Formats: sequence, C-alpha cells, structure tokens
Amino acid sequence: MEGWDPTTKSTLTQIPLLSVKAGPRDGGAWTQRLKEEYKALIAYTSMNKSNDNDWFRISAANPEGTRWTGKCWYVHNLLKYEFDLQFDIPVTYPATAPELELPQLDGKTQKMYRGGKICLTVHFKPLWAKNCPRFGIAHALCLGLAPWLAAEIPILVDSGMIKHKDDAASSNES
Amino acid sequence: MDEELLELQRQFEFAQQAKSSIRLSERNVVELVQKLQELQIIDFDLLHTTSGKEYITPEQLRSEIVSEINKRGRVSLIDLADTTAVDLYHVEKQSQRVVSDDSSLMLINGEIISNSYWDTVSEEINERLQECSQISLAEIAAQLQVGSELIVSVLEPRLGTLVKGRLEGGQLYTPAYVARVSAMVRGAARGIAVPMNLSALWSSLQVLLQDMDGFSGVAVESSFFQSLFNGLVRGGEILGSVRAGVHWTPSVFAVAQRECVDSFFSQNSFISYDALHKLGIPQPIHFLQSRYPDGKPLATIFAHGSLIEMLDAAVEDAIERGSWIDSLTILPASFTPQDASKILSLCPYVQKALKSSKAQLLGESYVFSDALVKNLFDNIEKELENLNVSGFSTAGLSEGSHPKKNATHGHDDSSSLADPGEYDNQNVISKSASEKGSKKKKGKATGNAKAGSAESVPESQEPTGTKSKKKMKKGKVIPAMQVSDSKSGGKRDNERMDDPGFLSEESLIQKIMSLIPDLEEQGMEDPETVLAPLANYLKPMLLNSWMERRKAAFTENAQKMKRVFDNLQRKLDEGFFNIQLYEKALDLFEDDQSTAVLLHKHLLRTAATPIVDALLVNLDIHNKLRNGVQVEESQNTESASMSLADRISLAKGIPGPLSVKAVGLVETLEGKRVESFMNAVREFAEESGLMLKKLDKKLERTLLHSYRKDLTSQISAETDPVSLLPKVVSLLYVQVHGKALQAPGRAISVAVAKLKDKLDDIAFKTLADYQSAAVTLLSLISAGTGNEEDCTSNRILSKRELLESSMPALKSLVLGSSS
Repeated sequence: MEGWDPTTKSTLTQIPLLSVKAGPRDGGAWTQRLKEEYKALIAYTSMNKSNDNDWFRISAANPEGTRWTGKCWYVHNLLKYEFDLQFDIPVTYPATAPELELPQLDGKTQKMYRGGKICLTVHFKPLWAKNCPRFGIAHALCLGLAPWLAAEIPILVDSGMIKHKDDAASSNES
Repeated sequence: MDEELLELQRQFEFAQQAKSSIRLSERNVVELVQKLQELQIIDFDLLHTTSGKEYITPEQLRSEIVSEINKRGRVSLIDLADTTAVDLYHVEKQSQRVVSDDSSLMLINGEIISNSYWDTVSEEINERLQECSQISLAEIAAQLQVGSELIVSVLEPRLGTLVKGRLEGGQLYTPAYVARVSAMVRGAARGIAVPMNLSALWSSLQVLLQDMDGFSGVAVESSFFQSLFNGLVRGGEILGSVRAGVHWTPSVFAVAQRECVDSFFSQNSFISYDALHKLGIPQPIHFLQSRYPDGKPLATIFAHGSLIEMLDAAVEDAIERGSWIDSLTILPASFTPQDASKILSLCPYVQKALKSSKAQLLGESYVFSDALVKNLFDNIEKELENLNVSGFSTAGLSEGSHPKKNATHGHDDSSSLADPGEYDNQNVISKSASEKGSKKKKGKATGNAKAGSAESVPESQEPTGTKSKKKMKKGKVIPAMQVSDSKSGGKRDNERMDDPGFLSEESLIQKIMSLIPDLEEQGMEDPETVLAPLANYLKPMLLNSWMERRKAAFTENAQKMKRVFDNLQRKLDEGFFNIQLYEKALDLFEDDQSTAVLLHKHLLRTAATPIVDALLVNLDIHNKLRNGVQVEESQNTESASMSLADRISLAKGIPGPLSVKAVGLVETLEGKRVESFMNAVREFAEESGLMLKKLDKKLERTLLHSYRKDLTSQISAETDPVSLLPKVVSLLYVQVHGKALQAPGRAISVAVAKLKDKLDDIAFKTLADYQSAAVTLLSLISAGTGNEEDCTSNRILSKRELLESSMPALKSLVLGSSS
C-alpha cells in the first residue's frame, strides 16, 4: 500500500470490498458484480460528501454498465477545474483495471496515454492484481484518478496548459 | 434489468446529488476568529487551552478558578492549570486578579487559600491541641505543607478564639499545660543550690515530662522552659543570676561563696586561686580585684597589702643586717616560689634595694644582702687560691688529678665545718656577728688545713696570699720553654678551664654551707634549694677569678718548661753523640755474631738507658708544668735509676700519641740492636719536638779526641789492674781503628784477639798475657769468694801482684804509642 498518501489509504480502506469475480461477459454474475460496484460507489460517494470532499459524478452510459461517463473536478487556488471523465469496463475485468480517460486533457500532459487515458503509478497495477476481485470502480477512482488529479492539475494550471473555464470562455468569446 | 440494480442506480444517483456537508478546517476557524478580532467584533482577550483546540475567555477562566476555590478552599495554581486546561501563565494572572478582588483569599507559594480554609484548619488544630495539650508548629506546617511562618501569621489572630492555647517558641500549648510546666520549672529552679547549666536542667525536666505523659511522646522545647524560667526570674519567684543565658547561679550560692571568700581572706589576708576555683569562681583574679582593690594578684595566690608590708619589713631587716632571708619562710605555707618572687617584686624596699644593688634576688624566693654575697665571694675566692696551690702540689699526673683535688677540698671542708660549729652558740645572739666570725674562722681554717702553718691571725687571707706569691716567685727560677709548645699547651689549658671540677655546683654549695652555717640551721631539709641559686650566681664570678689566676700561674710555668726542655736537649745531645760514637765501633765486630750481640746489649745498657731516662723524666716534668702544676726544682734526673716498669709507667703517662712512641722506645732498650733503638729515639724526639744532631766528621773527631784524652788520663791514673784492661783495650781501639769501643768484660778477649793484626807481636803478647792473667784472676776471685783460708787467696794475691807488675808495661804500651 505504499506509494499513496495517508488520507488516500485511509479512504481506500473505508470503501467496501467486492466479492463477485465476474466480467461484463459473465451475464448474471456481472449483474451481481455491478450491484456490488454500485454499493461501493454509493459508500464512497457518501463518504466523500460527508468529508466535504466530493470530486466526481459518474453514471453508467449503457444498460450493461460497461461504459461509464461523467465529470471530475479539482479545486486549485480557489478555482474549480472540471473535466469529462469516461471509461470502459474491459472484458477481462476485474483482473484488468478500467482505463480512466480524461479526453479534454489529451496531449496536454506527459502523464497520459493517447486518447486521454491517464498514466497510473507503478504501484497501482500490482496492488490491483493482488486485490482482484475485491477492488472495483470506486477503488480505481480513489486509487488512480484522485491522486493523479491532485498531482497533475496544479502543474498543468501553473504551466498554463489548462485554463479555468471562465477564462477559457472569455478567450473563446473573444 | 434487475430491480435491485435499478434501485442501486437510483440510490447512487441520489447519493451523488445529495448536498455535501460543508466543513471548516481548524485553520479556517482560527483565521475566522482572527478576522473577527481584526474587525473588532470580538473586543476582549481570548485565551486558548493547552490543547490549542479551544478558546476561552478570561471571565470564564476566572469563574472556573473561583468555583474550584469554593469547592476546596485551597487550590494550587498548578492544579488549576490542569483542571482548566489553560496555560499556567494565564491561570496565575487570572488568579492574581481573583485574589485581589476577594480579600478573603490569599495567594501563597503558588496556592490560593481562602480564609474559610484557615478557619477549618484552625478548628482542626484546636481539636488536636486540646487532645495533646501541645503541638509544634513545625508539625502542623509539615502536615499542611505550608511554611511555619505562615502558620504563625494565620494562627495568631485565631489564638484565643478558634485555637484555645498559647504559642511559645514554635509550639502551641494549652494554658493548663503551660501552667504545669511552669510549676515544674519553678520547683526545679528553687531546688538548685549550686550553679548549674540550665540546659542540663531542661533536659532532665524533659525526661521527667516524657515519663509523665510518655504515650503522647511530645518533646518539650528547652526554649519553652527557658522562656518560662526567664519569666519566673523576672517575676522574682526565683532568685539568682543567669550568665550567658545558660549558667544559672542561685543567689543562695552566690552569697555563700562570697561569705566564704570574705572570711578566708579577712582571716589570712591571702587566698589561693585554687580555693576560689573550688568555690566555683571561674576567674579568680578578676573577681578578687574587683572585690578587694587593695590586694595584689600573684601567680597562684591573691594577697592582701598587709602581707606585702610584713614581708617588706622582714626583708628590709635582713638586708640592713647584711644577712639573707627566704621569703617563703615568712610567707604562709601555701605560697609557691613564683608567688614569692612576685610578691618580692612588689615590695617597695626590695625594689629599691635591687635598684641600688644592695640586695640580690636569687632563686625566686631568696633575698641576699649584697654584703653577704660579696663576703661569700671573697672567701671562696681566697679559698680557691689556696686550693690551687695545694691542688697542684698534691696532684700527680695533672689529668687524673681531679679526684685528688676534690679530696683535699673535701678535707678542707670538713675541717672548716668543724670550726664554725663552735661559733653557732654565739650566732644565736647576733646573726651578723656570727657571720663575720664564721667568715674569719673559715679563712683561718683553710689556711691551717692547707699549709699546716701556724698562722692564726684572723685576717688569714693575707698570709695565704703571700705564701702563694712566694711560691710563684720560686717558680720563676725554672727556665723557659719553646714557644710553639706553649701555644698548644695554652689551648689545652683553656679547655680544661671550662670545667674545673671543684667549681661544680655541689661543691660550691658545700662550701657556702660551710661558710654560712645558719643556712642549714634554718631547719631546711634541703638546703640545696637555697644554695643552688646562690652557687650559680657565684660560680661565674669565681670562675673568672680562677681563670685569671690560672693564667698567671701558666706564664710562670712556661718559663720553667722552657728551661726543662733546654736541659733535656742538652742532655740528649750529649748522650746521643756518645752513643753514635760507640755505635761506630760495633761495626768491627759485625762478623762475630755472639760478640756483636754482647756488645750491642752492653751499649744499650750503658749508653742508651740514661738517654731514655732523661727523656722520660724531663718530658714528664714538662708535661706537669704545662698543665700548670708546680714542680719542685730540686729533682736530679741523673741519679734516678729506674727499672723497666718505672719507665713504662712514665712513658704511658705522657699524653697523646707520644705515649705510644715512648713505650716503643722503652721496649727497644730491652732489644738487641742499637740501630732499632736509634730509630726509636729519633722518632720519639721528632714527635716530642726535640732535635737530634747527626754526628759529623769534625764533631766526631773532636769527640774522639776528647774521649781518647779522657781514656789516657784515666789509664795513667788507674791503679786497679783488672779495670785497667778494658780501658787499655778501648784506648787501643781508638788508636788503631779510630773508633770508640765500649766493651763489657766478656767481650774483652774477643776485642783483644781482634787487635792481633794491628799491633806488633811484642805489644800484642803483652796485652794477651795481661788479659789471660786478668781472666784467671777474676775467675779465681769469683770461685774463691767465701773461704779465705783457701790457697786460692794466695794465688789471687800472687796473680794480682803479677798483674800489677805488668801494669806499667801495659800502660806504656798504650801511652807510649799515643804520645
């Protein structure tokens, strides 16, 4: 569990673990899995809200629940930077972690694969593999996206790669 | 699509829509509060707790403090800081405000204590006090963990109200207890009749108290006793005086003491410090001086002035009479010699007499009038003079003469002692008269004893003096001595001077005793105590005069010594030349052993012995002279014939290394070789500072010549045929060999035989015949002694005739050839 800051770790431990090992192609088992995913997400979200640490909105984009879309944001210098978030559940899920995408930031940072998929730390993959199938989407967000945002957004803002939407709007208008 | 899944979807949606609770971080809150203060919305100080999570207003803190105080009555600030969780600094600040606002509170040693607390404590103390009847403040203070001073300040206003008792020297007592102890102290103090250390008394009282209420085990402070005691003394309930706070002297005792001293002093007009010490007066001199201003403090005794006057009168009397006095006999028996000397120094007359040297203060307590001392000195000096002379004449060897001198001196004493006895009867009448008388008698006695002369003149000093002078004059006739010797002699003399045995203390004492018989008469068991100082006083003076006399005698002796020495040198020279001369002749007989031995022995006996005798005797005389001994002039050393033992004893009597040499010399006399004797003589002479002259040719010739002449005249005058022969032989040797031969009878034949080659036949034959005739004659005489009717006498006669007939031939033989 090393490699993450203490708050992340404490949060992670409070997210309920999953039990069903099933991928999108497993039919009923996947549904069970999806239910557990939801429960975990609900717990995580409510936890975030109670700690005044709400930072994303997601919802399933298809009825099977294999594609998810939504928003995530980060407050830096009292300004809220919001980005689109999307990801697919891979067929090998849960052995493979979902690849989180921030399409708006594609090409703006080096910590990102083509298509806006974020680069995760070296610790993520082994941890995930070790905790398969207990980790789910909520864990992926908590362990992967949250630290990434915290690390990358301030750099991107300071370097001017991204601008607040107000500034962006004003520049677009002009 | 599963219902449940949908439900979950909806729930999730709802969860995401729900409003997130808003939380302010601590930092934000702190900032907010700061902002509020900046904006003057909060216009008072805000304190925060030690955890840093809470703000607290001072009012709240104060109210908390007050509530804490009200709860317990006594709170320490540190406890307050803990309970309110506010920094100690703020607690202290607010506490001070609380205390200053409320007069019933006090802040002491970091504790806030309310008056009500003290009231309760006082009540507790009172309860305990009534139970135990006394409590020490220290105990209370330790119990309450406050300073005892604080306790005192707190208790004092409550004494008599809340606390029913009395505070005394750090102790709380109930009145009943105080009364009881005070009664004890009074009883004890009244019971004391001698001076006492109060602390000892207190400790005994303490023990008593502890015995009485042993269970309570309370220790009563001695200071409590002391304060009670002081109160009693002030109140006049007990009489006496306290010195240095602890020494209690009851007035009963003081009065008794004073009366005792008064009575003794007024009766005896003195009192010893020892007596005062026994009475418990620690500083007797001070005490006495303040009480009796007319008294005088002495070493161990305090004397009244009247005692001094009495002594003064006695001393004056004694001195005026030219006598002496032992102040101790006049003073009371308890006076020590130191006291006596001190009191003497205080006597006005003694002071005056000492200053005008009319009196001598000796041995602390004896006063001698100067006249007496002078007389004594004169007498002893004169006696010494006599002693000198007699001592010298009687002494044999000067070194060992001390006992002898002493013996003569003792004899003098006994004789002189006997005489004054007769005078003692007269002495009773008048002391001074007896003194004079005994002195005169003394002088006469010594004169008689020494010289045995019939001089009975009272002033015998003169005769003895002249006599000694005469002797000295006689002494001057003796010739002088060598200078170098006189020096060494003088030095040794000085050494001996330092310790003339007869000037020892004992003998002086004896002498003085004999001179002043009434010293003994005074009934002293140990007269030496009187006489020792007197003797010591006289001794240096006597020594001085003695030494002067010695010096005078010595210079006279020096001349004598010189003369003896010259005499000796002359004799020695003569004898030595002779022996050298004779020794030469011995060479002729070296080849004949037996004869040589005979000749050597003969020579030693005839020639060497006188030399040795002269040496020894003269050196002995010289020695005596050197030691200041008077030697009779009339000795003739030549006549003295001494045995071997005499010589050895003389030789041993010679002082120093010379003695060894001398003994060696004497021994060589008994030897067989002349040479060894010669060597010994030389060594001895060198050692004793004499000169031995070698025989040179010229001197030898003249000596030989005179010897020959001498012999020739002797032969021509000789009538005895037997004794003619050796002389003829000797002369022949002189003529033939030019050497002087001293031959004994037995060696004559050999000597004659030796002459055979040198003489012509006829002459030799005459000589040989004569010699054989003489030998037969002698043998006949020696054989024939006893019976004269024997025919041998006829034969002797005929032989003698024969010899006598041939004498002229022999004489002519010698004289002819010599002429």
